[in-house]
Amino acid sequence: MSFVYVTYIYTTRQKVWDAITKPEFAHRYWLHTNVSDWKVGSRWEHQHGDGSGKVMIDGTVLESDPPRRLVMTWTRPDHSQEPSRVSFDIEDYADGLVCLTVTHDRLEHDPAMASSISGGWPKVLSNLKSLLETGKTENIWLTKNKEG
Amino acid sequence: MSEDDLTNEATVYSIYIASTPQKVWDALTKTEFTTKYFFGRSVESDWKKGSSWLLRMPDGRVDVKGLVREANPPKKLVVTWNIDWAPMPLPEAIVTYEIEDLGTGVVRLTMTEDHPTPIPAKLLEGGRKGWPMILSGLKSLVETGKPLPMPTPQPPKELQK
Repeated sequence: MSFVYVTYIYTTRQKVWDAITKPEFAHRYWLHTNVSDWKVGSRWEHQHGDGSGKVMIDGTVLESDPPRRLVMTWTRPDHSQEPSRVSFDIEDYADGLVCLTVTHDRLEHDPAMASSISGGWPKVLSNLKSLLETGKTENIWLTKNKEG
Repeated sequence: MSEDDLTNEATVYSIYIASTPQKVWDALTKTEFTTKYFFGRSVESDWKKGSSWLLRMPDGRVDVKGLVREANPPKKLVVTWNIDWAPMPLPEAIVTYEIEDLGTGVVRLTMTEDHPTPIPAKLLEGGRKGWPMILSGLKSLVETGKPLPMPTPQPPKELQK
C-alpha cells in the first residue's frame, strides 16, 4: 500500500531540501517540524510545533542525497506498528520549476496511519508550495484534524 | 497490474489554495485563466447542466469534449470527458471538481477522474502525470497571479498517430 503525491513548485531544489530538513523552516508550513543531522543511519524526529520537543513520529534516515533525495522510516513513537517509509524525490523539471514527489509506502500494517497521511500530505505540500512561491502559508491546520 | 490490463481505478488529487471558492471556480471555467495553467488550452461552455463543453488546444484543435453533468457554482462541477484526437476510440471518463471552503481563507480543490468503462492502465498515466501539473499551475496562478513555466507534455505513445 502506498500514497504518492506530486507537486510542482517555482523554486530551487536546495530550497525544497531546506524546507524539509531545517526545523525553523519546516515549522512555518508543517504543523510540526523535523530534527536530524540527516546522515544515513541517523535518527530523525518529527517534533511537535509547540516547541516542547514532544516526538510525534520518529525513524531512521535510510538515504540522504541533498538536494535530490531523502528517504526515512516513519514510526509511531510508541512503536506499536511496523514502520512505514517516506521518500522525497526533488527533481529539476523545467526552467525554474521543481517537481517534488512524496512516496509514503510500507503502510500495509497500519491502515490508520495510511488514512491519516493521505489527508495530511496534500495539506503539508500545498503549504510548502505556497511558502516557497509567495512567502506566506495557509491557515489549514485550524480547520481539520492535525495529522501529518 | 500489468500496463496492458484494463482498469477503472479513479485518479484523485487534492490541493489547498489560499483563495475563495468563486476564484477557483472562475479559474476552472474561464478561458482567461485556463490558457495560463492548462497547457495553453481554452474552455468553451455556458457551464449549465446538460450543456456541451470543450477544451481547445492553442492551435485550434479540440482536445477534450463532453457534457456538463452537474454545475453548482462555486462548489461542484461534473463533466464527461472524451478525448477527441486519439487514433482509436477511448471510453468516456467523468471528471469531478469539488471546491470546499475551509473558512480560513483557504479552499480545498479535489479533482476526481472516474472511468466507468475500464481502460488500459497505461492510458491512465497521462492523467496521473498531468493533473498535478495542471492543478499546481492553477494554485500558483490564483495565489501569485503568475503562471508556472510548465512545458506541455507529449501524450502517451499509444495515443500518438
